Amino acid sequence: MTNDEIIDTINSALVKEFELDKDKMHPGAHLFDNLELDSLDMVDMVIVLENAFKFKITEEKDIRDIRTLGDIHNFVIKKSNEIRKG
Amino acid sequence: MPFAGKFFIVLINLTVFPLLILMTIIGIIVAPFAFIFFKLFGNLDTVKIIRYFVWIYGKGWLAIIKPFTGLTTSGFKRGEIPTPCIIVLNHLSFFDTFFMGVLPFSNVCFALRSWPFKMAWYRPFMRAAQYLDVERLSYDETFTASRNLLDNGGVLLLFPEAHRSRDGRMGRFYSGAFKISIATNYPIVPLCITGTDELLPPGRWYLKPAKVKIKALSPVYPDAFTGENGHIEMRKHVKALIASEVERMR
Repeated sequence: MTNDEIIDTINSALVKEFELDKDKMHPGAHLFDNLELDSLDMVDMVIVLENAFKFKITEEKDIRDIRTLGDIHNFVIKKSNEIRKG
Repeated sequence: MPFAGKFFIVLINLTVFPLLILMTIIGIIVAPFAFIFFKLFGNLDTVKIIRYFVWIYGKGWLAIIKPFTGLTTSGFKRGEIPTPCIIVLNHLSFFDTFFMGVLPFSNVCFALRSWPFKMAWYRPFMRAAQYLDVERLSYDETFTASRNLLDNGGVLLLFPEAHRSRDGRMGRFYSGAFKISIATNYPIVPLCITGTDELLPPGRWYLKPAKVKIKALSPVYPDAFTGENGHIEMRKHVKALIASEVERMR
């Protein structure tokens, strides 16, 4: 999967699961302020990403640091690269 | 706008707001005496007494507004809504909560955002009724209070959209109500309300006559929604039920 495909998959999954506005899905979008997610959604987001990419997310600190949609893109891209390298 | 239309707008505003203010003032004056009476002769729980007062206030609102809304309800006969339960409804107007006087029971705890708690004339009652300020409380605190309420036979009422709709369309649903339902094993009762967005939508400060309809749907039990995605599936299912019924009611 290329980085663009990863980003598309993330955006589509979040739009579908959280009924977000596609037009707001840009990397700088703040998850709480712009996309209006709440702390429970952050927990659900982990489940959504795990289901979309078939990996387990256990890096709680990295998840806690996520603030924007771009942070999610970077986190998943990094995680995918790590898995690919084994 | 035809003359008759303007006339009814003037009439509803000159009738409803003064009566609502009068009812509120009388309520504030009478409530302490009624509270002492209930305490002395009814030996009732303080929170339940205040929730009962709020329910009576809701009944008063229904009496005031009914001539201008032709209010129709369905599914609110005693026994049709199981208790304890978690009621979720779509949100169109400031007055949606006032219409909850249609519920056939009074021990209802509203889970609301912070701004309604800022209205000084309602705040003491909301605090005494132990309504949940979901913006101020953490999810764990909201969950613990909700579990206590439900385990003691109460009803939790939430607006899963969190905001009033700005365009009449239903917004996204947040997961909190559905997580609580699955964790506590109490059912969700979906409520559908239409017409209050014509009566008083966000951003307008005067009332317009409107046809208001409120319908309680059959309870949705959490056992059908299992696994880590259970609350998400339940949320989608309940939203679809409310959306299709609201469409039919309009």
